[in-house]
Amino acid sequence: MDPVHASIHPEVPGEKTKIGTSLVDTAAAAIQSFGPTKQIHQHLCAFHFYADDMTRQVEAHHYCGHLNDEMRQCLIYDSPNADARLIGLEYIVTEELFLTLPDTEKPLWHSHEYEVKSGVLFLPGVPGPVERKDLEKVAKTYGKTIHFWQVDRGDELPLGLPQVMMALTRDGQLYPSLAKDVESRYGVSFEKERENRAYIQGPVHGIHPKANAAGVGLQTVLREIDCKPSGPEPVHRIFV
Amino acid sequence: MSLTNEAGHKTNGTPTSKPLSTGQQILNKGAQMLQSFKPINQMTQHACTFALYNHDMSRQIETHHFITRLNQDFLQSAVYDTDDTNGRLIGIEYIVSDAIFETLPPEEQKLWHSHAYEIKSGLWVHPRMPEMIAMPELKNLAKTYGKFWCTWQTDRGDKVPLGMPSLMMPPQSEGAGVVKPEVVRKRDEEYKVSKEDSMKSRIEIPEPEWINPTADYWRQHNKCFEVDVESTEINVRTEYS
Repeated sequence: MDPVHASIHPEVPGEKTKIGTSLVDTAAAAIQSFGPTKQIHQHLCAFHFYADDMTRQVEAHHYCGHLNDEMRQCLIYDSPNADARLIGLEYIVTEELFLTLPDTEKPLWHSHEYEVKSGVLFLPGVPGPVERKDLEKVAKTYGKTIHFWQVDRGDELPLGLPQVMMALTRDGQLYPSLAKDVESRYGVSFEKERENRAYIQGPVHGIHPKANAAGVGLQTVLREIDCKPSGPEPVHRIFV
Repeated sequence: MSLTNEAGHKTNGTPTSKPLSTGQQILNKGAQMLQSFKPINQMTQHACTFALYNHDMSRQIETHHFITRLNQDFLQSAVYDTDDTNGRLIGIEYIVSDAIFETLPPEEQKLWHSHAYEIKSGLWVHPRMPEMIAMPELKNLAKTYGKFWCTWQTDRGDKVPLGMPSLMMPPQSEGAGVVKPEVVRKRDEEYKVSKEDSMKSRIEIPEPEWINPTADYWRQHNKCFEVDVESTEINVRTEYS
């Protein structure tokens, strides 16, 4: 039996926003412009797991904008609510662009074919036929996801190092309790969508063997290095 | 009126290949009308400032922070390289009050930076917002600490985000932390602001009585940080593998 795997949302410590502060926020929101965030046009829900620990699975709400036909950039939150925590980001590129990446870079990226075809990746509120039009494209893409806030282990604040995240690649990886929780909250059925999406094709050249960390675990480490430039500008001497 | 220098930004490093197709635009419009964007709609402030790569502080970038407040002591921001609609998402910065910062373990504190200099010196500005209105927020910010990870090094021309995130530092008054005058001048001209005027108007903002020396780690220790990735065993759901 699974332990209970469900999304948790730890309370962020701090005082309630003061009235003076919220007035400044209101004024700023009215006066300022929010150019790049106005391009965000899509809410996508899926799951990520840590690149060194598949048993830690996180419900991830992606808010994405297109930079062009080859690339999307997404902010990732732990919920779709107003008080959601910004826990990470994801870049999504076409297969074509992915193939141009250096081989050392490819393992940091994950494929989307399984997530789409299994039905677990969905666009809340978008009817199936419209949703599938976009998912036909997503199924061929690769994503690079970094999380900065480990809400799943109960962190009230974003602690520690950035974490490389991966996506599901086959049946049996996702905790059924987590799946059921999301299905019931959004009124979706992953099984039914799996059937509807059976026709969708993944990357034309197949999933690249170096993607999805080439099947090994990845962990981030912090290195202490000498700062550069070090100290004041060096004095240049001319030796004849 | 947009004050952005479009030519300066849009060409540099942006994936140039294909513009967004009409089909995709229609799909996007459709999704946008049907879906809700509550977390995004909570962004209430746009701040423009500068950041230095901790692993090479001679690399200095202009940053645009779109900020959401979760409570009086905590802010989260999406960071872009410009504020125009083509802005590239280059990272995330979290901001906490001094009270919260003091509760963090030292190992964590060394990843954070102080904001007092950035605010007092007039480098951090809220574009298009009268300084008077921003003043209470600037006073709050002067006492805060930030943790900023940059995921896309557009300054070196990366067309796609490459490698691991970089820890970023704000400018400081001395040594490697001094921001290049030309970087500031370019911003000030674009947004019709003046670092000098802002600095004068912020004289009244009190210097924090205490800036925790574990923050801004490089200043005390002359050591910087770099994040690397290593391969390791992966913990899998053994019952299924």
